[in-house]
Amino acid sequence: MLIELENTIKIYNQGKPNEVIALKGIDLEIEDNTMICFQGASGSGKSTLLAIIGCVFPPTSGRASIAGKKLSRMPDRFLTIHRREKIGFIFQQFNLLPRLSVLDNITLPLLPLGISPHERKTRARKLMNQLSISHKENFPAAQISGGEMQRVAIARALINNQPIILADEPTAHLDSALSIEFMQIMVDLKESGKTVIIASHDSLVSEHPAIDKIINIKDGRIHVP
Amino acid sequence: MLPKGLEKQINILDFSLMSLWRRKLKNLGIMFVFALVIFLLGSFQMLTGALTNSAQAVLKNTPDITIQKMSAGRQEAIPLAHAEKLHSIYGIRAIIPRVWGYYFDESKLANYTIMALEHDSMPYGNNLNLTLAYGHFPKKTEIGKAVIGRSVHDILGLDKRRIFSLFRPDLTLKSFEVIGVFSQQTDLLSNDLIIMNLTDARDLFHIPELMATDICVYVTNPTEIETIAKKIAGLLPDTRVLTKSQIQKTYQVVFSWRSGLASICLLTALAAFAILAWDKASGMSPEEKREIGILKILGWETGDILAVRFWESVLVSVLAFLFGCTGAYIHVAFFDASLLKPIMVGWSVIYPSFKLLPSVTLADLLLIFTFSVLPYLGATVIPAWRSATVPPDSAIR
Repeated sequence: MLIELENTIKIYNQGKPNEVIALKGIDLEIEDNTMICFQGASGSGKSTLLAIIGCVFPPTSGRASIAGKKLSRMPDRFLTIHRREKIGFIFQQFNLLPRLSVLDNITLPLLPLGISPHERKTRARKLMNQLSISHKENFPAAQISGGEMQRVAIARALINNQPIILADEPTAHLDSALSIEFMQIMVDLKESGKTVIIASHDSLVSEHPAIDKIINIKDGRIHVP
Repeated sequence: MLPKGLEKQINILDFSLMSLWRRKLKNLGIMFVFALVIFLLGSFQMLTGALTNSAQAVLKNTPDITIQKMSAGRQEAIPLAHAEKLHSIYGIRAIIPRVWGYYFDESKLANYTIMALEHDSMPYGNNLNLTLAYGHFPKKTEIGKAVIGRSVHDILGLDKRRIFSLFRPDLTLKSFEVIGVFSQQTDLLSNDLIIMNLTDARDLFHIPELMATDICVYVTNPTEIETIAKKIAGLLPDTRVLTKSQIQKTYQVVFSWRSGLASICLLTALAAFAILAWDKASGMSPEEKREIGILKILGWETGDILAVRFWESVLVSVLAFLFGCTGAYIHVAFFDASLLKPIMVGWSVIYPSFKLLPSVTLADLLLIFTFSVLPYLGATVIPAWRSATVPPDSAIR
């Protein structure tokens, strides 16, 4: 199993007056090469679940095994290394560095890996070709359209060839045409062997025929209708 | 093909440069203020060093004991007969009369110091010739000859001429031939100086033949200076007896007071900069925090992010350090520390001015580096470390 969560609990600000229990015991198994959609209202805990699967932080308690590594007692440094090897992120706000060029944004994950500029450019240009953004290579990220930003974010998520792609509300800032285009790219990724997990309450995503499984999250628990 | 570790560091350095460039206005502003503070600190250090060196060089040739005749609390000419009385004191190596005074050149509005001594009777007197750029001190027999400071040479417009004239009190002219000029290293004290024969000085100032301005005493054993000074004071009750250490203390008191005043001004500037640096560093903008969050999510380790901040700070602070120190050297060497000289030198800014040779020691540079670059590095890297150690999700939500 690629992803296994067992009684996973996440508590923010534990023991403080502003304590929040975001996940209240999640049991979840996700197989390799599938396309999953997390559905749920805002504040339901889907982004927290995505963050745990994305090795951003370990769960407060319970077991979480991602791509063969148990997160529970993993120090921050190893979480980071595991994250960059296994997880590619696509964010709702794209989270590009606005003053960096498209090329530099895409190659950001490769800098701490000690990969040469030539190799970085070669990999990025291949992805830019696939995603039809080659003509914007030297544009600052702040000067491209929303759809292009989305593609840059996708290219950045794929640059290190990670097996798991996580997308948090990826279509929230896209119109229908661009959302359909985005989903097609995700389908292509799944077909290339990757596991794609999308957190979204957009029906265009959840009702897409390529989605293998929809997981409803409500008040920090998986909700079975 | 470079090793991965080295390639990674080059990548991080490259990213740091890009990062600096992205915020070029902000970073240039900080660098400018930083360089200005280092410029002030550096100028102060180099000026202090230059003045200290000059003062030490002067004090080296100060007589062990100076005797001045006092009357009604004021100094007046001392009869050479007083010197005769000192021969009974054991331990005195040489007794040399000295004539000195000030000469105001009305046509040039410059003030010269005239000094006459029998340097060939002084212990190591010939060493004084080493303070000259060229020439030699006038000997007893060399009448009408003079050694002058560099500024005097310029003010008198001598160029290739060697003869100049000064007025006696009765307004008759007395001519001198220049036989030597002081070197730049001794500018602090020799700049306005004209050295001549005792006979010439008495003639110029109309001082009677058996009189002098003061009497210089050189002692065989330096540990006995104080004892001999007390004996002299007992033998010559109408005189003021000054020892070398007393003169040194006077210099130090005057100099330390000025140095302290300048230090306070500079510490204020440094404190202002520290506040600015801390504010800049600790008050990381939301954009900077978000950037750290993005880099962490993308797989940058805390150490990588700190390395970026470190290189950014090193580049800003070391460049500011280099610009500041170079500016300080130019300020002291080529502009005579015109911004700080009035505070540090005081009376010496009276025309004629003098050239300073800046003193730059490794210790001075390390001191400036320690009090400027290191705190800045701390003030920028520590907040970045605080931001980089929190889970990145909070920064990018």
